[in-house]
Amino acid sequence: MKKTLAGFMLAAAIVSAGAIALEQGPFVAEQSRSGRALYVANCAACHGPELKGAGEAPALAGTTFMAAWGNRTTEELYNLVKASMPYGNGNSLDADSYRRIVAYVLAANGAQSGNIAMTGNEAVQIGRIADGKMPAGEAAAAPAETRARTPVATSYPPGRFGVTVAGALKSFDPVTDAMLAHPKDADWLMYRRNYQGWSHSPLSQVTSANVKNLQLQWSWAMNDGGASQVTPIVHDGIMFLSNTANTVQALDAKTGELIWENRIGPAPTRAYGATRSLALYGDKIFVPTTDAKLYGLDARTGKIVWQTVIEDAAEGYSNTGGAIAIHGKILVGLTYCNRYETKHCFISAYDAGTGKVAWRFKTIALKGEPGGDTWNNLPDEFRQGAETWIAGTYDPDLNTTYWGTAQSKPWTRASRGSGTGATLYANSTLALDPDSGKLKWFYTHAPGENFDLDEVFERVLVNHGDSKDVLTIGKVGILWKLNRVTGQYEDSAQTVFQNVFGKIDPKTGIPTYRADVQAAKVGDWISSCPGPAGGHDWPATSYDPKTDLMIIPLHQSCVMMRAEPMEKKIGVGGDAGSQRLFEMPGTDGNLGKLAAYNTKTMKALWSFQQKAPFLTGVLTTDGGVGFVGDFDRRFRAFETATGKTLWQTRLPTSVQGHVISYAVDGKQYIAIESGLGGGSPVGKPTTLMPGVHHPGNGNAIFVFALPPEN
Amino acid sequence: MDLRQAVLFIVALLAITPASTPVWADDFETRLSPSPLTEGTRINITGEGRAIASLDGRKLTVSGNFHGLVSPATTAELYDGLGIAIPGPKAFDLTVTQATSGTISASLVLSAKQAAELRAGHFYVQINSQKAPDGNLTGWLLPPHPFAGEDVPVAGAGFLPQLDVTQK
Repeated sequence: MKKTLAGFMLAAAIVSAGAIALEQGPFVAEQSRSGRALYVANCAACHGPELKGAGEAPALAGTTFMAAWGNRTTEELYNLVKASMPYGNGNSLDADSYRRIVAYVLAANGAQSGNIAMTGNEAVQIGRIADGKMPAGEAAAAPAETRARTPVATSYPPGRFGVTVAGALKSFDPVTDAMLAHPKDADWLMYRRNYQGWSHSPLSQVTSANVKNLQLQWSWAMNDGGASQVTPIVHDGIMFLSNTANTVQALDAKTGELIWENRIGPAPTRAYGATRSLALYGDKIFVPTTDAKLYGLDARTGKIVWQTVIEDAAEGYSNTGGAIAIHGKILVGLTYCNRYETKHCFISAYDAGTGKVAWRFKTIALKGEPGGDTWNNLPDEFRQGAETWIAGTYDPDLNTTYWGTAQSKPWTRASRGSGTGATLYANSTLALDPDSGKLKWFYTHAPGENFDLDEVFERVLVNHGDSKDVLTIGKVGILWKLNRVTGQYEDSAQTVFQNVFGKIDPKTGIPTYRADVQAAKVGDWISSCPGPAGGHDWPATSYDPKTDLMIIPLHQSCVMMRAEPMEKKIGVGGDAGSQRLFEMPGTDGNLGKLAAYNTKTMKALWSFQQKAPFLTGVLTTDGGVGFVGDFDRRFRAFETATGKTLWQTRLPTSVQGHVISYAVDGKQYIAIESGLGGGSPVGKPTTLMPGVHHPGNGNAIFVFALPPEN
Repeated sequence: MDLRQAVLFIVALLAITPASTPVWADDFETRLSPSPLTEGTRINITGEGRAIASLDGRKLTVSGNFHGLVSPATTAELYDGLGIAIPGPKAFDLTVTQATSGTISASLVLSAKQAAELRAGHFYVQINSQKAPDGNLTGWLLPPHPFAGEDVPVAGAGFLPQLDVTQK
C-alpha cells in the first residue's frame, strides 16, 4: 500500500513538458473510431461529450485524467470501466464494446493507435502512450438532441411525459401549518415525518410481540433507471410517490391503486442524484426535480400549477434533497455546485401559491463578506461546494430552520488551494430564519474538510428539559450535539473508528486534522477512515422520544485518497480526488453497523455489525419496533430497546430509501422501497463486496401490515 | 458458560472499557483483506486471511494464513504505519508461501519504539502477489476483538480501535 510519487511525477512531467516521445497505444484505429459512438451512447451523458466530467463523474481527458491515470495501466482502466460502467450497471456491455470505449478514451488523450487490437489484458502504463492532449476533432460531439435523450445509466422505459394517468382524489384536506407542526398519527406529511426530523411514527399497532406476523399487503413497481431513494408522503390515506424521471404518482395507500400520474421528466441520464422527498402544503404537492426546478402540482389531480427554475441544469446543477414547507414557503437546497463558476450554491425559498422566489441564502462566503477570509484568499469563482442535498428541519417555537452543508470543492485542501482555511459555510450547521433567509448562527463541524466527508445530513431537534438541542452525524462518524438556540457546541460521540481528526477540543468541539493531512500536497496518497461512504451518509437516523435513543445506520470502510491537480479556470470542475478502498481495521469486513445512542448522555446503548451496509433510513415506532433495510436485499424489524432482530424478509433488489409508517382506517402500514442507484453508499460496497449480488432493476414500493386476526 | 456466551462476555467487556484507556495488549490479531481496491484492481486483488501476533518483551511472533489470491504470493511484510490505517515504512519481511494460498510467519525482535507503536495499533501485515505487487492482502494488528456474529447486538458501541486519538 505504500506508494511513491515517482509515477505521479512522471505523469506530471509528461503532461507539462511533453518531453518524452509517446509509444503506440495497445489498440487499433478501428477500435477507437467505433468506440467513439459507444462512448456517446453509454458514457457521454455523465462524462460529457468532451470527456470533461460533471457532477460525480470524473474527467476522462486532459490533465486531471492524466494525473489520476498516468501511472496506472490500460488493463486497470479496462477492468474498471468493464466492472463498473455505465455507472450502476457494470458488465452490461460485451467485452468488445468496453475495449472500444477504452481505446476511444485513450485516443482522446492523445494516444496513437498501433497494429495490434486491444484485448484488455495489456498492462501498458497510460503515461507512456498518452499526454492528455485531445487531438482536434476527437471530442465525442454527438448531436445535442441525441445527448439530451440518451438515458445511459440504466434502462429507463421510453414514454411520453406529462399527466400520463388522469384522475382526481375524491377529497383532499389542505395541509396547514398546524398539521405540519402537529401531524396526525396516521399521516407522514414530510421527509422525516415531523419538523424535528425524527423519522418516528407514534403508531403502535405493530409491536415486538406481533411484528413476526407482518405480511405484504401490496407492492408497486416503480420507474427503473437513474437513482431511487424515495420517501413516500402519506396524507389521509393517499400516498404520493416520487419515481425516477421526476414522475409523481398518487396511490391509494390502502390498496395500491393508482389515482393519477404525472411524468414531469426529463428521463434520468445517470444512476446517481435521486429525488429523496416531496413536500405538501395547502392543496399542492411540491417536487424539487433532478433538473434543478421546483414544481407545484395540484395534489388532487397531479396537474402542474406552477414551475420555477432553481438554477440552470445545463450547467450541471441538480436537486436531490427534497423540500420542507414552512409558513407558506417551500425551502429547497441545491447540489452539484462543484465547477468553477461565478455562481455559488444556495438554499432558496418559494411562495407555495405562486412559485415566486422569496429569498436565497448563498452557502459560500465570498470576499468581503463575513467568513470570506476563510478561503485562503481564493478568488470568489474558485470557492465552490457547500451543497445542501438534504432538506432541513424546523423549530416552530424558535422559528428557525436547520440545514447542513456539504464539504467545499474540490475535495482536498491541496486541490482547492484553500490552505488551512475553514472554507465557510461548508460542512456546517446553518440556522436560518425561514421567513427571510437571514443567518441566525452557524457551526462548522469539519473546517477545511479534506476527504469528501460531508456533514450535510439530517439535523434532528431534541429537547432535554430546558435544553434545546440539535444533533447531526456526518461521514466522519461523529455524532454532534449543539445548542440549537445559540449554536454552541455541547457534546460529541464517536460511532465508528476514525483517524481523520487527531483530537477534538472538548470545550468547542473544534477538530484538529492529523499532521500528515495538514501537510498533504497534490499527488500524495492520504488515508481516511471512514471513507466517502461514511460513517454516516444519507440513510437517515431515527429518534425515538420514548427511549431518547437515536438509531444510526453506519458504514465501515476506509479510503486512500490522492489530491489531483485542478486547473483554476471557469467551467473546469469536479472533485479532483482519486480513491482506493480498504476495510476499516477492527471490523472484520463488516461494512454495516447499526447503533443506538442515548441523546442525553451520548453513550451507545447497543450496536451490531453485519457484512452488508444499510441503505435505508431507520424508522422507529411507538410499538417499540424499528425498521431498516440493507444492500443485500434484507428488510428487517428490530427491537428499539435492544437491537434484537425480530423479523426479516428479502426484497427483489437492494433495500434503499426511507421507511415510513402510516395508518388507513385504523390499520398500521409499513412501507419501504427496493431501489437502485446512488453514490458512495452503493458504489463503495459494490467494490468491496463483489460476492453480493442484486439485480440491476427492481425499483418498487412494498407495503406491509399485520393480518386481520392481529 | 458456552463458547457463544464467552464471546459475548468478552465483547461486552471490551464495550464497557473506557475509550480513553489504551489497551496495552500483548496479543494482536487481524483479518487480511483485499486492498487497496478500485473497480479496476479488484479483478487482481482477491482473497482473504488472518494473522495473529504475540509480543513477549520485544520478541514478536507473527503467524497467519491466506487463500483465494488470483496470482501467487510473492512477498509478505510487516509495516510500521503512522497510525491505525495510516500506511508507513516497511519494518520487517515475513516468510510467505509462494502460492495463491498458504501461510505467513516470522519471529522478530522489535525496538522499544516499535513495540510501543505495535501496541498503539500502527503495525500492519501486507502480502503482495504477482498481479498485485503493491499490496494484495492487508490487515492492521489490533488487540483481540471477537466478533459477536452478524446481527448480534452487543452492549455499547462495540470495538472502536481508537488507541491513540484523544477522546473525551
